[in-house]
Amino acid sequence: MRFLINSKRFNVFADIIFKPVLVLSIVLLIVGLIFAFFLSPDDYQQGSTVRIMYVHVPSAWLSLMTYLIMTVYSIIALAFRMPFGFIVNTAVAPIGAIFTLVCIISGSLWGKPMWGTWWVWDARLTSVAVLFIIYLIIIFINISFENVRVREKIAAIFILVGSINLPIIKFSVDWWNTLHQPATISKLSKPSIDPSMMTPLIIMTIAFIFIGITIAILRIKTEIITRENI
Amino acid sequence: MIFLHKLLNFYYREYKLNLSGFQDILTNITFFFISIFIFIFSIGPEKETYSFLGVGILWTLLLLSSTLSLRKFYQDDFENGNLTLLHLNGFSFELIAILKTFSHFIFVQIPFLLSIPLASILLNVGNEKLYRLTISFLLGALILSSLGSISSSMNLLNKRNYLLGSVIVMIFSIPIIIFSVGIININENFNSLVGILSGILLITFAVNPWASGACLKIAIQNN
Repeated sequence: MRFLINSKRFNVFADIIFKPVLVLSIVLLIVGLIFAFFLSPDDYQQGSTVRIMYVHVPSAWLSLMTYLIMTVYSIIALAFRMPFGFIVNTAVAPIGAIFTLVCIISGSLWGKPMWGTWWVWDARLTSVAVLFIIYLIIIFINISFENVRVREKIAAIFILVGSINLPIIKFSVDWWNTLHQPATISKLSKPSIDPSMMTPLIIMTIAFIFIGITIAILRIKTEIITRENI
Repeated sequence: MIFLHKLLNFYYREYKLNLSGFQDILTNITFFFISIFIFIFSIGPEKETYSFLGVGILWTLLLLSSTLSLRKFYQDDFENGNLTLLHLNGFSFELIAILKTFSHFIFVQIPFLLSIPLASILLNVGNEKLYRLTISFLLGALILSSLGSISSSMNLLNKRNYLLGSVIVMIFSIPIIIFSVGIININENFNSLVGILSGILLITFAVNPWASGACLKIAIQNN
């Protein structure tokens, strides 16, 4: 597992797995979209708009997962002085921002026919919007400092302070009475979603994870090369 | 004893510096009042509107005008080398962060506190609400000072993007705004909301020295 913390080993490992991951992400995305559009049933209340969920839920999960990965790498990089963590933070932040943006846009496209508005000031929606702004600030920190050694540490400290928002997003639907529905898929209990909708959701989630990994490999390799040339 | 003497000297120095730069604080307070006028011009002079909007407007403007003074938090001391001298005199970076936070609270936020009664007359906030507003501002101003310490120490070496510090403070001050305005507008549950606000205060107090100390260290090492 040394490739997770060492940039040389990461380069070797990434060269091996890049093509399989790319092929797998394309295939899974096509299969998942076919399942989502043609092989899954309509909801009895929401009709065909339920298919937006197959994009919305995976991107929401991945936006949280990306921030979690950045938090872990910030701790590793600051505590054990491993510069690879800073490289991952810089490379991965825009990916998380895009996933959050996809989550917000698809959610508001679903909200217009279902709730009647594009946007409500609900606890979950607000906290996800805050997450998007936090991603934007991380990107701003990364582009507005001149010294690389300074900005990477400051971005890592900001990520650690901003990680307070993560549990607020995760549990906002349980703590407050919100318009957004609580989680239907949890680890501890049997999911309250039908298997015919569960299958495309799982396929789309795995496809999104592989897409994220593909872009992350490209961006991390670019970041390593840029830093070698400074 | 020597340590106490150092602390007293530190605060005497801060007092002198803030006294000579008092026009900055006055300009800040003027900004605060002018923005109240602008709100009244843009929304309209009806008194009923302000009976339920007034507190929210007041808190928003307090937040905005206290972020204006953040540039001076560490920047002057950092550029003329006083931070390095303080550190060489046996003050750890974490202690400097704590002391500067309290000095910012005393010399910048307290003048705002004195201007709140006048502003509450302008915005038609009643006596009962004024008492709650003062308590919530006393707690919230300490939190704002801690957040300001974190964000301005992050931006010491930032030569291009000055506004980033204000954005960082404002993104973290969302819970403070929620609970401080909640304190004033809710009739029952007053004590529990004060408890939540003091809890946030303790959390920011715990995070502030480590985060700002680390940022100060990075800035001084890489200057």
